[in-house]
Amino acid sequence: MATAAAGTTQESGQQGIEAEDNQFLTFCLRDELYGIDIHRVKEIKGYSAITKIPNMPSHIKGVLNLRGTIVPIVELRTAFGMPTIDYTAFTVIILVIVRDRTLGLVVDSVSDVVHMGQKDIQASPDFGTKVDVKFLSGIGKSGDKLVALLNIDQLLTEGYMQEAAAATA
Amino acid sequence: MNGDYSKFLQTFFEEVTEHLSVLESGLLTLEQNPNDVEVLNRIFRSVHTIKGAGPMFGFTTMSRFAHEVETVLDPLRNRKFSATREIIDLLLESADCLKMLVEAAKNGTVIDENKTMLDLEARLETCLIIPAPAPDQKATSGPPSTAPTAPAPVTSVHRTYQISWIPGEDLFQRGLNPLKLFEEMGRMGTVRSCVLSASRLPDLTELDPQRCYLSWTCTLETDYPREDIESVFEFAATPGGLTITSLPSSSAAAQPTQEPDPQLAHSVIDEEDDPRLAEVFFGQRSDSLGVILVEQRAVTPAQLVKALDRQETLRAKAKEQKVEASMRVDTEKVDKLVNLVGELAITQSMLSALGGRFEIEHLPILQERLLQLERNTREIQERVMGIRMLPISTAFSRFPRLVRDLSAKMKKKIQLVISGEETELDKTVIEAIGDPLTHLLRNACDHALEPPEERVVAGKPEQGTIRLNAFHEGGKICITVEDDGRGLNRDKILAKAIKQRIITGNDILSDDQVWALIFRPGFTTAEELTDVSGRGVGMDIVKRNVEELGGLVSIKTVTGRGTTFTLSLPLTLAIIEGMTIRVGQDKYIVPLLSILESIQPKADMVKTLIGKGEGVNIRGVFYPIVRLHEVFDLQPEHKNPEEAILLVLEVEGERVVVMVDEILGQQQVVIKSIEENFRKVDGVAGATILGDGTVGLILDVRGLMKLARQEQSIAV
Repeated sequence: MATAAAGTTQESGQQGIEAEDNQFLTFCLRDELYGIDIHRVKEIKGYSAITKIPNMPSHIKGVLNLRGTIVPIVELRTAFGMPTIDYTAFTVIILVIVRDRTLGLVVDSVSDVVHMGQKDIQASPDFGTKVDVKFLSGIGKSGDKLVALLNIDQLLTEGYMQEAAAATA
Repeated sequence: MNGDYSKFLQTFFEEVTEHLSVLESGLLTLEQNPNDVEVLNRIFRSVHTIKGAGPMFGFTTMSRFAHEVETVLDPLRNRKFSATREIIDLLLESADCLKMLVEAAKNGTVIDENKTMLDLEARLETCLIIPAPAPDQKATSGPPSTAPTAPAPVTSVHRTYQISWIPGEDLFQRGLNPLKLFEEMGRMGTVRSCVLSASRLPDLTELDPQRCYLSWTCTLETDYPREDIESVFEFAATPGGLTITSLPSSSAAAQPTQEPDPQLAHSVIDEEDDPRLAEVFFGQRSDSLGVILVEQRAVTPAQLVKALDRQETLRAKAKEQKVEASMRVDTEKVDKLVNLVGELAITQSMLSALGGRFEIEHLPILQERLLQLERNTREIQERVMGIRMLPISTAFSRFPRLVRDLSAKMKKKIQLVISGEETELDKTVIEAIGDPLTHLLRNACDHALEPPEERVVAGKPEQGTIRLNAFHEGGKICITVEDDGRGLNRDKILAKAIKQRIITGNDILSDDQVWALIFRPGFTTAEELTDVSGRGVGMDIVKRNVEELGGLVSIKTVTGRGTTFTLSLPLTLAIIEGMTIRVGQDKYIVPLLSILESIQPKADMVKTLIGKGEGVNIRGVFYPIVRLHEVFDLQPEHKNPEEAILLVLEVEGERVVVMVDEILGQQQVVIKSIEENFRKVDGVAGATILGDGTVGLILDVRGLMKLARQEQSIAV
């Protein structure tokens, strides 16, 4: 639970980990646990109808009406190269803030908000997860579970922006 | 207290701007009726207010200048003098200068001693000394007298002298006062600058107060010959102490042209007192200023870049300030709105009451109240939109001045007739429509209208007329700019287009398509550039601006008789009329403005032509068919055009036929931005929230055509 004094230097030099406040929203994709810095999470919403946008890469599902604002939705399973499943009652959309924009991520289900100390977080080795390592800001330990911590900025700007750009080139 | 202060400051600027516009329109009215005391009083009051309010916010320069203007206006309104054309011209120039000072104040730029301003001040001071228009007397040379009877130079044939004067140290002992000499010079013309040199000043301990250690370098603009200037210093100059060199003249009081902005240019060249620059700048070339300067080696490319950067920052600042404006609203509109909101509140509480103890037999009452709710909401929506609507006169207000200046400049006789200025439209549209209309008016003055001699030969009245009209039609607002000038010349346009390789000699174009060519970037049939137009830049910007507003531009012309440009715009930006269509399970919205017609084709109308793909024959014209499901990768219900619906769409004079499954209906659609959180999508102009809460995409017809063409080239 070491927080405060931990200054700003980080071992792994990966972006995305707030040194002061290590709270993460965890969610499931398949049988794997992922985490997002709680400060980036704007809202969690049940799944509702998404309007498809033409000629977009497959992981961009479309857009959604969030109380009058148009918000793009990313299917994380597809983004991570996993097969998609039918949506269940537990499927939720996590609305996150990237730069000044709001985006939604479709995930299988959400889990708890966990605290993780600096010492619980390590640089992400190249193993196991199908996720491209550059999208992870580290692997954290919560209790006896491993949580892959997502670097939202990396994921949603480099990842889908590039692909989107390539798709319409 | 900073927040409060800035609020007052903003109010100050708004009011000053209003006063400036009263001043300008008043002066234009005065031109027609120079003795209208009512108008004179009105503009006097406006200038007086500016003069008074300025110092409260520290704008002393603005206030001082306003005072000079007021000093001229006072005797005019008291009938001591009558306003001649020269005086009104001078006042109009002063109004422009005031405008410039206000702008500078807004941007926070400090203007202390601006050349234009000083010159105007001098002219204002002297303009009423002789009531009649100043005669073109040749200034008689003679011993400098003390009576201030030098005529104010009206012609712009000045000579500028640089006078460098090093008086002898015994100047004071000879009983001479340098100040008197400067005053004398001032009476001979305009002292543009005066720089003191105190280089000979010794230490305080060694200073002899009876000796003169100072020397001066001045620039003087005057009609008087050199000998007269020399005679001013007759008793004062020691041998070798007076040098007078003549400089190439810069034309006095540069007219504030529309572009480039004199203030911005000063930010580049004020520091360099290089007379070549002054000539270059105030001359008549129409190349971009930066090019000229670098060409003349007056500035280095690096300096140019720096100045352009500053220009950008100033522009950005100006733009920012435009956005945060407030607006005046008719109290009547607000009152009506307050009433409606009251009714809404009542309906809402009725519904709540009903909902509290609802039984199924209450259903008819519920439906009735929901209907009431719908009426209330719709009316409120309309009224709120109405609040943002301003009469178009605010956009039109600057045009009389513009046409007046242009017609004088081009030595043509042009009158501008405005009608429909009460027509209301959305504030944002009004702000955006100003530039395109300005371009159109300039073009009309420059290209369309002939010089008086030509008109007479053609049997037309010497004075050309431009009619500017605005009216509502079919849920849109139409603005027409009509001139009785040359009209468009089909052959000339075709020739130029072929020369510029926009089309080939073999293309067959309809008249409308030929006229549409003038909207191409870079297209112009002007033989030469003037500094008003001819660069081929204006028309494509007009079109682009209008289309960005969701409107259309169309042209009607008769060679030799005149041209009419019609801009049709939606009443508000945020709402468009849309047609909802379905392809498979997906719904899209097509802007109603772009739809010409919809048909269900018969089998024999649909053909596939080699090299042109699939198309449909409508009344003899063959249109390519764009299958929306192919462009957007959707699952259609019908793959056969005969079972589907074809929409004939038109944009930019180009037509395309889009195949969809079904037309669902027409509705008003509130446009929501996709780019706010996402990005621009090809083929999609925006999004809206449909009745079921889902997002509906609005088609961008032009983008769609582009996508379709790409698809076809890939397929072929």
